[in-house]
Amino acid sequence: MAVSIIDLCVNCFACEPVCPSHAISEAKPHFMVDPKKCTECEGDFPVFQCASICPIEGAILDSFGVAINPPGSLTGIPPEKMAEAMAELQSH
Amino acid sequence: MQLPVLNNTPSQAEHGAKGGCSASSCGTTDNQMDSLPDSIREKVQNHPCYSEDAHHYFARMHVAVAPACNIQCHYCNRKYDCANESRPGVVSELLTPDQAVKKTMAVAATIPQMTVLGIAGPGDPLANPERTFETFRRLSEEAPDIKLCVSTNGLALPDAVEELSKHNIDHVTITINTVDPEIGAKIYPWIFWNNKRIKGIKGAKILIEQQQKGLEMLIAKGILVKVNSVMIPGVNDQHLAEVSRVVKSKGAFLHNVMPLIAEAEHGTFYGVMGQRGPTPDELQDLQDSCSGDMNMMRHCRQCRADAVGLLGEDRGDEFTLDKIEEMDIDYQAAMEKRKVIHQAIQEEMDSKRLEKAVKAQQHQQEPKLTTRPVLMAVATSGQGVINVHFGHAKEFLIYEASPEGVRFISHRKADQYCGGDSTCGDGESVLQLTIRALAGCEAVLCSKVGYEPWEMLEAAGIAPNGEHAMEPIEDAVMAVYKEMAAAGKLDEKNEAVRANA
Ligand code: SF4
Ligand code: SF4
Ligand code: SF4
Repeated sequence: MAVSIIDLCVNCFACEPVCPSHAISEAKPHFMVDPKKCTECEGDFPVFQCASICPIEGAILDSFGVAINPPGSLTGIPPEKMAEAMAELQSH
Repeated sequence: MQLPVLNNTPSQAEHGAKGGCSASSCGTTDNQMDSLPDSIREKVQNHPCYSEDAHHYFARMHVAVAPACNIQCHYCNRKYDCANESRPGVVSELLTPDQAVKKTMAVAATIPQMTVLGIAGPGDPLANPERTFETFRRLSEEAPDIKLCVSTNGLALPDAVEELSKHNIDHVTITINTVDPEIGAKIYPWIFWNNKRIKGIKGAKILIEQQQKGLEMLIAKGILVKVNSVMIPGVNDQHLAEVSRVVKSKGAFLHNVMPLIAEAEHGTFYGVMGQRGPTPDELQDLQDSCSGDMNMMRHCRQCRADAVGLLGEDRGDEFTLDKIEEMDIDYQAAMEKRKVIHQAIQEEMDSKRLEKAVKAQQHQQEPKLTTRPVLMAVATSGQGVINVHFGHAKEFLIYEASPEGVRFISHRKADQYCGGDSTCGDGESVLQLTIRALAGCEAVLCSKVGYEPWEMLEAAGIAPNGEHAMEPIEDAVMAVYKEMAAAGKLDEKNEAVRANA
């Protein structure tokens, strides 16, 4: 059981120091979770520490591959609104 | 500790409690630093970010060593640098503490005017205590003639005060956008606190408490505190005068209100949701109303977090990582050299300050004009003189001339209202944009003005003026003001004018 960091990661370093299991390290192209070390914070904290500080929606997935912070959950920007704004920008 | 209220000299009060930057003391407007206690004045006087005249001579730099952040601000997209200290949309090269120390010493040895090193991002410096403090620790030891400063969102500040006080860090900037948790919840969607993500009002309340506690602890330690606020129309604009009052009563020496810059392409909450930033008049009105009881910083250009050079000038390209690796710095020798140069600059600044004081006295004795105030734009690259060609100016300094004297109002980027893309006006030339950026000004003083811009400026009601090249700004602005007065151009009361700065 382990979480994983995917390519949405912006390399902000926030998760690395908060991991109780030292499972996260700086890597290219983005931070990585060592699945052998990740304990899902079991026994240390009731919530995933990495996913509690990560500012990027969708960057960290649980062991089922589901985003722990789904779109809209952190920024408060409704996903449709984001899509609209992006479409607007593309059209320029 | 409570600091005396700034800007409350009688001449200011009758002036309608205007304040502004210490640049503008040619008239009766007292140099507002004179009312600060000596210990603080000394610290502030030669600081390039805080003293309008010092920033023509001294330089500061920032190093980006602190990537992580422990909160989210609605105006920040964390793919970019901390928007509290940097222009939005900027990404700086992250340095290790070792690289940061090398870079700082390389710059200090090459640009002796560099006297202040700040850590301001790309995240929150205090959310990266190890990286931030290692940088400070080493610089305090290896380059003791460099002043250190740090800016923070305040969440981790109370825990950092003790360590900060050890490193001789005498300037801390806290970004405080509100003292009300309900407003806070509209600015900060969440914080990371005690191993949990805390959202909404509860999170904002903790952040506000930590900011205020940190502010009080710093003041108790005798560390200078500057407060930054981002002005967000419809969210905290009405509330910032209250913020100003609170932080001032606790002893912050300066309050800097910055405009929200929100663009959809930054991908921030405010950008995407269409939250607008303040207009220049709204910003100035707020700065004026706050400066009634507090020193305000008007010359802040929201510098880049990794900028190197005099404010507004960036020499970062000379100090890339590969270049500093190759440099071999003898800092002891550099420090000797720096000392001599600093002394020379100090003498020049002292003599200019004296000159200014003498002129202010003369001005007071002259018969007083009763004409209306006028805004003028000035093209300068520093040293306090008019020395830039109109067409080369990337930014203008805006001054207000009135019977009271000359005061500095703000900076305007030549392209301030346009990101250079298609969103602003079809086919407008750079020249048209620049002229638009000068709206509200009645004259523009440059070293030279070309033929085409001359005509367009005149057509826009802005008098081009190239007659004061290389003259001190305030003298020139006053001279032009007096000419306008003598020509009878200023007789009608025009109250609308000031609001356009
Ligand atoms: S879930 Fe916990 S243990 Fe696993 S990487 Fe994240 S912080 Fe570390
Ligand atoms: S906190 Fe999120 S965005 Fe930041 S480095 Fe970790 S996974 Fe990447
Ligand atoms: S404190 Fe700075 S880095 Fe952190 S979210 Fe706010 S603006 Fe961004």
